[in-house]
Amino acid sequence: MDLIHPRTVADVAEALGTASRVGIRVLVVGGRRHLDKGNPTEVDVEIWTTQLDQVVAYEPDEMLVVVQGGMRCGTLAELLAEHGQEWPADAPPDATVGGVIASGATSARRLRVGALRDTVVEMELVTGDGRTVHSGARTVKNVTGYDLHRLMTGSLGTLGVITQVALKLRPLPERRRTLVAVGDMALARRIAAEVPLVAGVLGTHDGLEVRLEGWSDEIEELGAAVVRLAGDAVPSDDDATFPLAPWWTWPEGGTVLEAAVVPSSLPEILAGSTIYAALAGVGIAWVGAADADEVAAVRRRVEAIGGIAPAVRGPGGLGGTLPVPAVHRRLKASFDPSNVLAPGRIWT
Amino acid sequence: MADVDAARRELEAALGPEAVLSDPLARRLYARDASMVEGACALVALPTTPEQVQACVRAAATHGLPIVPRGSGTGLAGAATPIGDSLVVTTARMTGILEVRPEDRLAWVEPGVPNLDLANHLRAMGWSYAPDPSSQQTSSIGGNVNTNAGGPHCLAYGVTSAHVLALDVVMADGSIERLGAEGPEAAGYDLRGVVVGSEGTLGLVTRVCVRILPAPPAVRTMLFGFDTVEACAATVSAIIARGVVPAAVEMMDQGIVRAVETFAHAGYPVDAAAVLLVEVDGNAAGVAAQTHEVEASADANGASSVRVASDETERALLWKGRKSAFGAIAQIAPHYHLHDCVVPRTKVVEVMRGVYAIAERHGLIVTNVFHAGDGNLHPLFSFDRAVPGTLERVLQASDEVVRLCVDAGGALSGEHGIGLEKRDFMPLVFSAEDLASQACVRAAFDPDGRMNPRKVLPDGARCGEFALAAAGTGDAASDAADLPEGSWI
Repeated sequence: MDLIHPRTVADVAEALGTASRVGIRVLVVGGRRHLDKGNPTEVDVEIWTTQLDQVVAYEPDEMLVVVQGGMRCGTLAELLAEHGQEWPADAPPDATVGGVIASGATSARRLRVGALRDTVVEMELVTGDGRTVHSGARTVKNVTGYDLHRLMTGSLGTLGVITQVALKLRPLPERRRTLVAVGDMALARRIAAEVPLVAGVLGTHDGLEVRLEGWSDEIEELGAAVVRLAGDAVPSDDDATFPLAPWWTWPEGGTVLEAAVVPSSLPEILAGSTIYAALAGVGIAWVGAADADEVAAVRRRVEAIGGIAPAVRGPGGLGGTLPVPAVHRRLKASFDPSNVLAPGRIWT
Repeated sequence: MADVDAARRELEAALGPEAVLSDPLARRLYARDASMVEGACALVALPTTPEQVQACVRAAATHGLPIVPRGSGTGLAGAATPIGDSLVVTTARMTGILEVRPEDRLAWVEPGVPNLDLANHLRAMGWSYAPDPSSQQTSSIGGNVNTNAGGPHCLAYGVTSAHVLALDVVMADGSIERLGAEGPEAAGYDLRGVVVGSEGTLGLVTRVCVRILPAPPAVRTMLFGFDTVEACAATVSAIIARGVVPAAVEMMDQGIVRAVETFAHAGYPVDAAAVLLVEVDGNAAGVAAQTHEVEASADANGASSVRVASDETERALLWKGRKSAFGAIAQIAPHYHLHDCVVPRTKVVEVMRGVYAIAERHGLIVTNVFHAGDGNLHPLFSFDRAVPGTLERVLQASDEVVRLCVDAGGALSGEHGIGLEKRDFMPLVFSAEDLASQACVRAAFDPDGRMNPRKVLPDGARCGEFALAAAGTGDAASDAADLPEGSWI
C-alpha cells in the first residue's frame, strides 16, 4: 500500500488532483479508529491526515475551536481542559478529529451533549478532484448557504478530505460521577426519562452505568434521584471515566454493530444478545455478533422497526438501504467525479 | 414556456378549485413575504396532504412553472417572495400535530403548524420544543425548518437542525422521500442536514419529525441594567468564563428598552444604556448554582439594577418585554429594516459601535435587540418610506452593516436566511469554488432548477460552470436585471 502523508492542505489538494486525473483510488486515514465502518473498498493508496494537526484558532470566550482535521482527540482534549472546556466527542485519544467526524461517531453521553454533527459549524475540505472548499462560519449560529459540512459528517471519506473544522465547545462540568446499578433496560429507560439532565444511562447484560455531570449540589440531587429509582446504586469514584464507547474494550474478534433505533425499541432489538451496551433515551446500542449469521439476525430485528445497524468493528459493512439513491449518486459525482475516494464504501 | 392555464386546470382537478388561487388579489397577497421585496406569482396552491403537494410539483414540472414553497410568510429575507410565473405552494392548511411520542422523544407534525402551537401542545404534556424564534406565534415549523430558525433559547439547546430528526420531502421529481430517521442515525449522507436551512430550494417538506425534550423542572429569569454597553457585553463573557451556558442571554439597548417599556410596561430600567435578560434552567440545584454565577458576573461588571423573576407571572412579564420588541418599534417610525448578522461574541461591542456610527452617518434611527450569547445581532433601522430619499439611505446603511459584520469575522445571517435579500452578498463570505460546490448540492436535489430558483445563491453560481460566469462570460448581469426592485439589500 502506497502512502501519502501531506503536511499542508495544498499537498492534499495536489495529491487528490493527481489521483483523480490518473485514476488512483484513495483511502483517507486519520487515527485508524473507525476504518472498519463502511462497505469493503479496494484502494491503491492511503492519505494520512495526521500531519495536519495544528490548532488554527482558539478563543475560549467564543466557545469555539478551529483545528486541522488530523489533530488527535487526546491532544485537543488536553488543550481545551486547560481552559475548562471540552469537545464532547468521547473518542479515544489517538483518534483524529476529522476521522471522528467523517465516521459519524456517537458519544456515550449523547443524551446530554447531543449529536456530534451539531458541533461542527465550519469546515474546510478538499474534494476528490482536489478543489479546496469551505462552508459554514466561525459562529455558533449561521444560515448562510448550503451546509456542505453536514454532508461530510458521516460520509466516511467518500466525498472529500476534512482538512479543518470549527467546533462548538462545552464548559467542563464542575463535577461528574458514575453510578453502577443492578437493572435492565426498562429501569435504564425510567432513569433516562425521570432524572433530569442525566448525561448517560448505559445498559449492559450485567447492569447499568449512570453518568451524572454538573454542579456539585446538582450531582447530589441527581444521585439521590437515581437511588430512588434503582435502589442500590453504587457511586464509583468521582474521577472514573464513563465508558467512552464501551466496545473499544471488548475482546477482539467478531463484529460490533452500532444499532440506531427509536429509544423505546431498544429492549426489542437486544432480545437474545448478551454482548451489548445500549444508550437509554438515545436509541444507540452497540451489539456484539460472533459471525455473519448473528449479524444478519440483529439486522433483521433492527430493520424490522426501521433502524439501521452498520458494523463499526469487524466484517459486516453498513447494511441498510440508502434514501434517495439518485441524490446520493449525483452528490458523489459532484464531489468526487473520478470516483477515487473509497469507491463502494457507502454503496456500490 | 410556462402554461399557467393548463397548470391551473390540472391543480384544480387534483386539489379542488377552492385550493387554487389565481385572481389578482390573491396573487398580490402572495407576491411577498415579510421582507422588503415584492415579487409576482401566477398561481397559489393550498394543498392539505402530501399527495396534493406531489400533484403541485408534478403540475409545475409538466407546465414549466417554478415552485416557491411558503409557510406563514414571516420570512425576512425574501425566500418566499415569488418571481415571475411561479406557483406558490403554501402549507398554511397543513397544520396537524400528528403524533407525540414521549417514549421516543419525538413528535410528527405537518409543516404548517405554528411553532407556538406545537410548543403549547407539548408544554401541557410536560415536554418542550426548544427553537423559539421571535415570530413563533405565526411562523410555521416548516418555515422554521427551511430557515434553520433559532430564537433566544437556542444558545443552550441549539438551532432547529439539532431538533429535526426526519423530514418527509416531496423531491423535485415528485417522489416522496424520508430524509433522516426517527432514530438517532440514518443511512447514507445526511440529506436531512442539508435540507434544514435550504430555504425551500431542495424540496417541499410535507411532514416533520421533531426532537422533543422534557420540560426543565426549574427555570430562573433575571434582568440586569448596565450604565454602558461594554459592561453589559463583558457580563456575557464573564458568565461563559464561569462555565455557565444559560438557556438564553438577550441584550437590548436603550433605544429598544424605551420603546418596549411604553408598550409592554414590563418594568425594564429605561435609564440603563443596555439591559441583559438571562434565563437559566435545569434541575433545582443546577439552577441555583447557575443563578449564583450569573449574578456574580453581573455584579463584577457593575450592574446598575438587578431583577429576578419571583414567579411565573413575573417571568412572563420580563419575556414579554423582549418578545414584543418588534411590535414596539412601530412607535418610532412606520417601517423598519431588521438585520440578522452573527459575529464572534468577543466582537459584539465593536460591531455595535460601528452600527451606531453608520446610522449616525446616514441620519437614521437604529435600535438593537439581540441574542448576545451567540453573537447574533439584530440592528433595526426605523424609517418612513414616504420621506423621499430615506429608503436609499437605509439600503446604503444596510450594505455597510453587512460588510462591517463580515469584516469582524461574522456570517451573513444567523437565523433569517439569505433568500433574495442577501444572495448577492454571498461572494463576501464564499469563494467562487465554495459557491460552485453549493450549486452542485442544489443541482443534486433539483437538476432542473425548479425549486425556488434565484434564491440563496447569486446568479453566477453554477455547478461546474462558476469559473465561466466569474470570468464575465456568463449571463449574471442580464439575470440580475429582471429581479424585483429592492432585492439587492
